[in-house]
Amino acid sequence: MTQQYIKPIPVVQPWTEAFWKSTKNHSLLIQKCSACESLIFYPRKRCPECWSSDLGWQEAAGRGKVYTFTIVRDMVEAKFVPDLPYVLAMVELEESVRMMTRIVECDPELVQIGMEVEVVFDDITDRHALPLFRPADESLRITATDGDQTGKASEPALFMSPDDYHTILYETGGTNGAVCRITLNRPEKRNSINRRMALELRDAFRRVREDRNVGVVVLAGAGGSFCSGGDLDVFPSLAEHQTSLNWLAHEGLDVQKAITDCEKVVIAKIDGYCLAGGLELALCCDLLYAKESARMGFTEINMGILPGWGGTARIVRSMPVFRAREIIYSGRKDYTAREMFEMGLLSRVFKDEEFEEQFEKAVALLAAKKPIALRMGKEIMAKSADGGSIDTALAVERNGIQWLTYAPDIQAMMDQFRKNVKS
Amino acid sequence: MSKGKGKIAIVGIGEVPTGIYPERSPWAIMYEICTQAVQDSGLDKNDIEAVVTVAPQAQARLTAEISFGKIPEELGLKGCKDVCICNAGGASTSNCIRLAEQLIASGAARAVLIPHVTVHSCIPMDELINFFAQAGMDLQWEYPFGTTYNAIIGMLTRRYMHESGATPEEMASIVVSMRKWAALDPNSIFFNKKVPSVEEILSSPMVADPLHKRECNILADGGAAMVVTSAELAPKVTQTPVYKLGEGAAFFTACPVLRDNGMMTRGFTESAAKALSEAHITKDDIDIWNIYLAYPVGHPLMMESLGLCEPGQGCKSFVDGSTWPGGKMPWSTIGDAIGRGHTGSGVSTATYVDTARQLMGKADARQVQGARFVFQNTSGGSGMNNIATVWGKELI
Repeated sequence: MTQQYIKPIPVVQPWTEAFWKSTKNHSLLIQKCSACESLIFYPRKRCPECWSSDLGWQEAAGRGKVYTFTIVRDMVEAKFVPDLPYVLAMVELEESVRMMTRIVECDPELVQIGMEVEVVFDDITDRHALPLFRPADESLRITATDGDQTGKASEPALFMSPDDYHTILYETGGTNGAVCRITLNRPEKRNSINRRMALELRDAFRRVREDRNVGVVVLAGAGGSFCSGGDLDVFPSLAEHQTSLNWLAHEGLDVQKAITDCEKVVIAKIDGYCLAGGLELALCCDLLYAKESARMGFTEINMGILPGWGGTARIVRSMPVFRAREIIYSGRKDYTAREMFEMGLLSRVFKDEEFEEQFEKAVALLAAKKPIALRMGKEIMAKSADGGSIDTALAVERNGIQWLTYAPDIQAMMDQFRKNVKS
Repeated sequence: MSKGKGKIAIVGIGEVPTGIYPERSPWAIMYEICTQAVQDSGLDKNDIEAVVTVAPQAQARLTAEISFGKIPEELGLKGCKDVCICNAGGASTSNCIRLAEQLIASGAARAVLIPHVTVHSCIPMDELINFFAQAGMDLQWEYPFGTTYNAIIGMLTRRYMHESGATPEEMASIVVSMRKWAALDPNSIFFNKKVPSVEEILSSPMVADPLHKRECNILADGGAAMVVTSAELAPKVTQTPVYKLGEGAAFFTACPVLRDNGMMTRGFTESAAKALSEAHITKDDIDIWNIYLAYPVGHPLMMESLGLCEPGQGCKSFVDGSTWPGGKMPWSTIGDAIGRGHTGSGVSTATYVDTARQLMGKADARQVQGARFVFQNTSGGSGMNNIATVWGKELI
């Protein structure tokens, strides 16, 4: 524990050493002036009242009342992010000195000004224990949650169901249930991607793979915007090195793979903003249909980074490379859908007033095709576009089509030909 | 004895719009504001005999350049005899003006240039968070518990609401008032932007309960400058001198934990009383209350301390429109840091520049008609002190 403490350690002065030494015995000291008998907090080298340097210590009873407090929920340094939310408080001790501390072992919503509290100590190093306070009333206490110190989102349930989704919608429908609609549903945040959404997207695309009726998946955003990228609320947690890597290597890669490997034709329905991580989601899809007024781009470079959910690698395989580079390097977020189409990225752009109708037509056209043909087409084209050798791609194509032709309905038709040949 | 004896006046001002402009370099801003201020004053550049700069926070390189004389050299201020930088956090501009006053009184300089520049958008985000987490916090008694500026203000706000019974809606209405001024101010980050409603402010995410995101400041880039001369010289160089008539200061504490609302209201009251009595006017003569406190909670406290309302009723004037543009008690005509965009210590400079602009009659859409006297304060650190000043378009 001692080695792992990454939060700031009190910067001790020679004349405050006794205070911190005492905290290791879980005793709270208050400095007392031997000359004028003032109680002093925080400890000084000279009494701030009479300037005497004849100073001693008195043990505090360790009881007090909350003078004021705040529930800190956001905008803290990375090292405090795993603690969020936490209750920061000023506590007035019975001895009439006031100190900064935290209220622990209590539901933050139950803390009140005037609440009676008692000191507990958090042994942060072998030389310091931070004096914290908990409710004096035992019925208000909850035991500290253990193990929640990594800043990670709470683990998802092993098996989610669409009823568990908070951040996306999952609906199947259309003729023969051939269309699945997965809708990013955080319109108040322009459908930005947080940890929960990443987990739900991964789950949804793995789920749809098992639905043999579905041939087409529509990936859309609720409320007039496709997706504005990663939620900035995720950002502070990325200050921790491993968490940052895993946001790309676990959540990011898992979501991409879930989309590209779902064996369905995924159609991105792009309107409003399709930026940064939102554009990266789109690049994982098979067809990109956009509303003329949509605005697109990669803004990551403006923060000194690059798209890390596949965007940098995928865009150069998705359009002419010299145009792709401009999108990555410029950091522009105002590319119009028309511009993107002309640069070679999108499948089609529809006028705003015709968008819904034309989009549904395009979906219906594909949804009428056999799901396994769509699936095999997706696989063959992906393997070829991946840039493997043409001979490999051609072999995948031959065998894939041969596999398709052995479907029972096609074979029934073939039997007719065979009979005709014989007769 | 002349009534202006020993007094000073602002004779020229310059400013660039506040906002997030990473492509606008600190020195580009410096040239712009200093040139504007000197030209506005009617003086020649070589008449500037000292440059006293408001220290830019969290910008070590720029601070070093300014400390070591780069401004008079870049600008070719051939008459400059003295140069220094002055740091008292958000109160720095008051100390710069006082230093100018002393340089002028001692005869060391006849005209002093006081600029400030901050470019937050070029500072990496982690450094900014780090700076504002630690600045003004005690590294032994506060910081290890996870204090931030927002958290400290969250605590003071909760205590104020507890003592006064002010509601979240009333607290949010302070932001509305600030943003109404900002929407009219071409130098604000929120110029021409829709003023959020109380409901919109309260529906923004909680940062440090009860403080919402839209009750916190946006870090921005900006710069402002003024030229100061003696009160005797001022009317000879400009038609619109703005005289400093009185001043009073109060120091509270460095550590927020040692401070309480009672200590602050006493300090506000005493420093204001001293400034008003030195100016030989009363609070009834004040046309504009240019208050700079960087977060909502200080404003009702200040209003109560100034005796402008009953104790605990400080929010009411923000709700009923008295403090808004056109209201009977014009308050923070740049909208404080929350309406202007937070430029480190620069909001205090911008507030002085607007005090002068109002008394010069050059505030356009925000002009308070017939303004003769302005009360202005500044405050540094996490609220360590209060410096109250009174300004007028004539000497008394």
